[in-house]
Parts: sequence; C-alpha cells; structure tokens
Amino acid sequence: MKRIILFIILVAVLAGGWYAYNEYNRKNINLAQVQPTATLTAAQLAWAFEKDSASANKNYLGKIILVSGAVKNIENEGSIVVLRQDSSTTSIRCSMDSTYITKTNSLQKGQSINIIGACTGYNSDELGLGADVILNRCVVQQNK
Amino acid sequence: MKTSYKIILTALICFTAICLHAQNKFFTKSGKIEFLSNAPLKDITAVNKTTAAVLDSKEGTLQFVVLMKGFEFEKALMQEHFNANYVESDKYPKAEFKGTIINNSNINYSKEGTYTANIKGALTLHGVTKDVTTSATIKVAPAGLQSNAVFNILLSDYNIKIPSLAKNKISNNVKIMVDSRLDPLP
Repeated sequence: MKRIILFIILVAVLAGGWYAYNEYNRKNINLAQVQPTATLTAAQLAWAFEKDSASANKNYLGKIILVSGAVKNIENEGSIVVLRQDSSTTSIRCSMDSTYITKTNSLQKGQSINIIGACTGYNSDELGLGADVILNRCVVQQNK
Repeated sequence: MKTSYKIILTALICFTAICLHAQNKFFTKSGKIEFLSNAPLKDITAVNKTTAAVLDSKEGTLQFVVLMKGFEFEKALMQEHFNANYVESDKYPKAEFKGTIINNSNINYSKEGTYTANIKGALTLHGVTKDVTTSATIKVAPAGLQSNAVFNILLSDYNIKIPSLAKNKISNNVKIMVDSRLDPLP
C-alpha cells in the first residue's frame, strides 16, 4: 500500500514538474492557429476606440482579434501593414509576426485582407501623427 | 507684374514656407525600444517595435509614446506576468517620455553627421512620472535621422514591485535601449 502511495506521489511530482517546465518555456503561439475572440472591420475597430477608448480597451486590449480591411500601406520592408479607413482618420497598424514578414511582399495597396493580431492598444492623436490602433504578432488569414 | 503671377508667386512662397516648416519635425511609428533586466539567475529582455515618437528640431523637443502590451518576450509566461503583475498594463496601457534636447543648438539637422544630444525630460511609467536625463546619438542622413539612446531606470521609482522570491531573477535596475529611425514629417 505504502509503495503504491509513494508511486502515485512520484508520478504526481514528475507530472507537475513536466507541466511547470513546459509552462515556463511556453512561447507565444502563432496566431494562425488561434481562434480570434472578436471579428470586426477596420472601420468598426477604429470607431470603437475613437468613440470610447476605455470601453474599447476593456473589449479588445490584449485580445486576439480578426480585422478585415483594405491595405493602405506596407512599411519597414513588410513588417508593418496599415489598414485603411475611409470613414475615419484612425489607422490599424499591424506589426507582422516574424514568420510572416516575407509573405507581406505579395500584398498590394488597396487589397482587401483579413488580419489576425493581438491588440496592444490605441494611440490617440497626442503626437499629431494621426491615431492608430496597434496589433502585434499579426498573420494574414489564409483563404479557405 | 500681372495679378495672376503675383498670386502664383505668393502661393509658391507660402507653400515653400510650409514645406520648410514641416522639415522641422521628424517622426516614427515603428521605433524600437528594448529593455534588459540583468539579475544573478537570469537575464530578461523584451522589445517593442511599435513606439511612436516626434522630434521637433526647431523647438528641441522629443516625445515618445509606448504601448506596454507591445513588448514582446521570448517566453509567453514572462510576457503575461510582465503585463499582469509588474507594469499592470490593463490599468496603465502606456509609457510616455516628454523631454528637451538641452544642446539642440549644437545639432545641425541639415548637415550629415553624428551628434550627441543631451536629453532631459519626464518619463511616465506605471502611472508614475519621474525626471530622466540621458545622452543620445543622433545621426543625420539625407533620408532622415537615426537616434539611439541607452539609459537605466529603477523599477521601484515607478512603484513596480519585485516580490522577494523573484529578486534573483528580476533586477530592480533595468537598462532601456532606444533605437529609432526618424523620418521627416510630410
């Protein structure tokens, strides 16, 4: 009986250790494999932050979201994709995942795309540079 | 001179004046800020590649805005702890720096070269504002400016608490490295 209990404790400790080791070394998951928590157009996302940034932060800050919009600009050799708003002056700036940067070369200005990214927040026009909602670790959703 | 020529000439002068004035400001929306915590048991580093900044070469002012959730770590758990427990980015989503270049008159923004800028300003992090002084390198090139700066901060100055269990893994003294190209504001 004692041996069985000791064996169970040993397995539990090893399992716990294995879990802790994996959790400690866990890397940020590639967003191509993640289901976004919200889906909206670039215009809707911009409007949410322009209208009430505190409420938009609650809804989107730190969340994985899918944004659809037209490409306004591609910057920094493909590492930033800017989605255009016709209806507002706020852009959606998408900082591309390092595995994706080479693929942004095939994107065209004006092209409609879906981007999945982690929302890192909103810069209102405090520096006089125009307002932006910023997404990190972005991937372009592949057409199914 | 014909009236139409006068109008065109005036418009041209105004347009040029506006253009020249615009050349006073340089900006970025993809500035890089990295920090390094060097502790006995480990080094922790993270990078933010979406920093926004404006440098006004006429006024000698410099402003940076950084979204805290934009810092990327190699390990997801560190990134989550950084945001939830240390900088509390849900409560304080941004860090900002507003400063002046004390020796701005020594920097010739229209002549190529590398200049040392002495910068003094206020850094707001985790809801606390503290004075910071540092020197930066500004390299003037035809396309724009390249700015680099390194300075240290104490996390405790900004009410960022390190639990005693983590003291050997997270240093209170953190090195911040700024590396940013600044383009002329159109």
